[in-house]
Amino acid sequence: MKIGLEVHVQLPTLSKMFCSCPTTDADTPNTHVCPTCLGMPGSRPVMNRKAMEYGIMLAKMLDCRIADTVWFSRKTYFYPDMSKSVQITQYDNPVGSGGVYRLNGNKPIGITRIHLEEDPGKTKRVGDQSSLVDYNRSGIPLAEIVTEPDLSTPAEAREFLKQLIADIRHTIDLPDDGERSIRCDCNISVGKERCEVKNVTGLRNVERALTFEAVRQTKVLKAGGKIERETRRFDEERGVTVSVRKKEFEADYGYIDEPDLGIFRIGELARSISIKESPLGMTVRLVREYGIDEKTAKQMVSTSVDLAKTFEKIVSATGSTQTAVSWTVGAISANWKTFEAAGGDTDGIIDIMKRFGGGGMTDVEAGIELKAYMTGTDIQTVRDSDSGLDEIIDSYLDAHPEMIFEIRKNDKAVNRIIGHVMKETGGRYPSSDIVSSTMKIVNSKI
Amino acid sequence: MNMDVTVASLPRLNEKYSMFSRISDDIGTADFKFLFSAKDNLTSKDMETRCGSRILEGYRPAFDATAIEKMRISGGKLIGKNNMDEFGFGTFSTNSAFGIPRNPFDPERSCGGSSGGSACAAAVIEDHVSLGVSTGGSICCPASFCGVYGLAPTYGRVSRYGLIDYGNSLDKIGLISSDPGRLSEFLPVISGKDRKDPTSCAQPDLNLTGKKIKTVAVPREALEGVSGDVLSAFESSLETLRGMDIDVKMMDMPFLRYAMPAYYILATSEASTNLARYVGMRYGRQDGDLTLKFDDYFTSFRSEYFGDEAKRRILLGTYTRMAGFRDRYYAKALKVRLHIISSYKKVFEDHDAVLTPTMPFVAPRFDDISEMTPVESYSADYLTVPPNLAGMPHLSVPCGYDAEGMPVGMQFVTDHWDEDPLLTFAKDWGCAFETRRAEVLL
Repeated sequence: MKIGLEVHVQLPTLSKMFCSCPTTDADTPNTHVCPTCLGMPGSRPVMNRKAMEYGIMLAKMLDCRIADTVWFSRKTYFYPDMSKSVQITQYDNPVGSGGVYRLNGNKPIGITRIHLEEDPGKTKRVGDQSSLVDYNRSGIPLAEIVTEPDLSTPAEAREFLKQLIADIRHTIDLPDDGERSIRCDCNISVGKERCEVKNVTGLRNVERALTFEAVRQTKVLKAGGKIERETRRFDEERGVTVSVRKKEFEADYGYIDEPDLGIFRIGELARSISIKESPLGMTVRLVREYGIDEKTAKQMVSTSVDLAKTFEKIVSATGSTQTAVSWTVGAISANWKTFEAAGGDTDGIIDIMKRFGGGGMTDVEAGIELKAYMTGTDIQTVRDSDSGLDEIIDSYLDAHPEMIFEIRKNDKAVNRIIGHVMKETGGRYPSSDIVSSTMKIVNSKI
Repeated sequence: MNMDVTVASLPRLNEKYSMFSRISDDIGTADFKFLFSAKDNLTSKDMETRCGSRILEGYRPAFDATAIEKMRISGGKLIGKNNMDEFGFGTFSTNSAFGIPRNPFDPERSCGGSSGGSACAAAVIEDHVSLGVSTGGSICCPASFCGVYGLAPTYGRVSRYGLIDYGNSLDKIGLISSDPGRLSEFLPVISGKDRKDPTSCAQPDLNLTGKKIKTVAVPREALEGVSGDVLSAFESSLETLRGMDIDVKMMDMPFLRYAMPAYYILATSEASTNLARYVGMRYGRQDGDLTLKFDDYFTSFRSEYFGDEAKRRILLGTYTRMAGFRDRYYAKALKVRLHIISSYKKVFEDHDAVLTPTMPFVAPRFDDISEMTPVESYSADYLTVPPNLAGMPHLSVPCGYDAEGMPVGMQFVTDHWDEDPLLTFAKDWGCAFETRRAEVLL
């Protein structure tokens, strides 16, 4: 089975792609409109630079080749919600092409291209006899990401989309408004010929539509039938796909260049834009670069990207990955929430770790200083409250040497130690201290 | 002549010449420094804008075209919208849904097109300037037929905001007047960068320093197929030019012959996409049968309200960009355009301008026009199309009259952004050549 997706992402610009109308929701239809997005004769498009920047950021995220020169094209088709009967899109020279996205940080999914285009308005059916058109959405900037048919199951397609969307949100600060701003066209072939299911909204629907199609196509083939190349749509309520049109009736869009916008030399702009590393990308890099296991990397990144960055700084400050891992997943993780909420500066942490790495203080002292620094408490208070905790943990481990072996097999076993210590100390120590001390001691023994 | 008197006489003038498709209702001319008119494909807030097409009947734009706005700001009063071939599709202004402009030198003959109404107004109204638009020769052709001066500036010199598109990569707004001084006076007014039209933002400043044309190249190819009357007027003008110390050289420019096919492919490809928006919704005529499905609704609407030439160009332009033909026609025409631009540039290394007659014949009679096939009338543009395809500025000046007194024009082409020598020449020529005014009888 081969599945390829065309993912449409609404870009979070303040104004529309080719005019200055706002992109925010309007209470009343046809109020966020002007001559340009209504396609009035004599009006003209002007490029929103921010949309181009977002396009470049996504192209970088997807490891695409970024064209030095790009331009726009006219795609001509007649539909009432397309105000000019011409959609401004990219045909010949898209922003990005030939990229790759690593599913789970591993399986490469080819990215054919990413291009920018304008959204049409919306048509609303009113009763049997008429439709109304709302052009508030007309001209909202979209990026379309087209994948190679590298996905092998509907569940994989869903997982891909989930990870892709998370990365897109992170990269361009796309607000999380459910799945509204993401729409998807799904191409699937069980045999040789493919069908396209247009305009599916939401992860669950993508999986449902693809599953339905996979079963339908398999049945047709088993019965000795032939799959015809066609466009289908997904009926969300009934959970089925329905044929819209056969291939020979596909519109010929008659693409020509859009002369009103001219050409854009984006090479320099593209070089000047750097993008935030995606959480998944960072996990993969930490594993590769520091040789730590994937689980640890994921744990640090999912706690906070900044925590993972702190880990990297500690490695370079102390020269020891192992030290950095044990302290990062131990005491630093345990106090991270408080520290982050208070807007703390990680330089202080690095400083303590540097002194520890230089042999200037013991494990216990470093633990106390870290906690004091990260929670904004003075050292003596921490020392008083902490005293005895390490001893309790040590004595428990001495009494149960098998625990260390168990933890090696299954790191969840550490919870048993934590549970025991909590019970024994009866609320004398905050749970974050118990977790951090336990992790620190356990890490030093395994 | 007093401005109020001129304005008051417009309805009668228009009855005779049909140069306006709309005349301003507001006849007061106090507070205005000058009168102007504008081709009806430039949007105007105060007047219906129809582009010579029934499909736009009732379109009252919400905004002024930048060129009109700038003329108003510098003290101009827009007295009317000039009649034209539907959407600019034509050479004789006979493709208008609102009457046909009549040549001031002979009302049985054409004014030329597609800015026929603009040239007619410039010839008939005293001390007048009108805004024309050229895609493939629509300023120089009517200027030549009506015996006036016409300037099509470099593509991108004048903002196209508010210009209802024919071919967006070719359309240029320019000026027509019987007084060559008006061209230098108003080009600086309407030109300049405009954020509302990105293609206007690449232009260098317009500096009118009085630079002169010293050498011109005349392509031998251009003189083939030119009528005897035009040729003799042109050749005697060459003598006048030599007398003005301008060096005239004959040259071969074989590239010129590729301009026509490339032009018609690009112009119709773009036009067919521009005209796609006219579906009987949102503006213009919207009185179709609403019980029809959308496809049937807009099809019946377009069948009824587009003229024959608009339909022909939609068909041609849709064909040339179809999958499977696109590379053979549209993409190839883009390459030909680049070739023509670079060939012109080579000529401009050693010459200040390229000179040809403007049109191969004088204004034809309407009964002769009705006998022409579409290809014959398209071919009449073969001298004006090359500079338009290349986006280069060009000027038509009256240069003689045939035995029946019909004007002949010649056309100068200069390099991109080099309008200065064209305007200087227009003024000098105005002194050297005795222009005849058409007799206006009311």
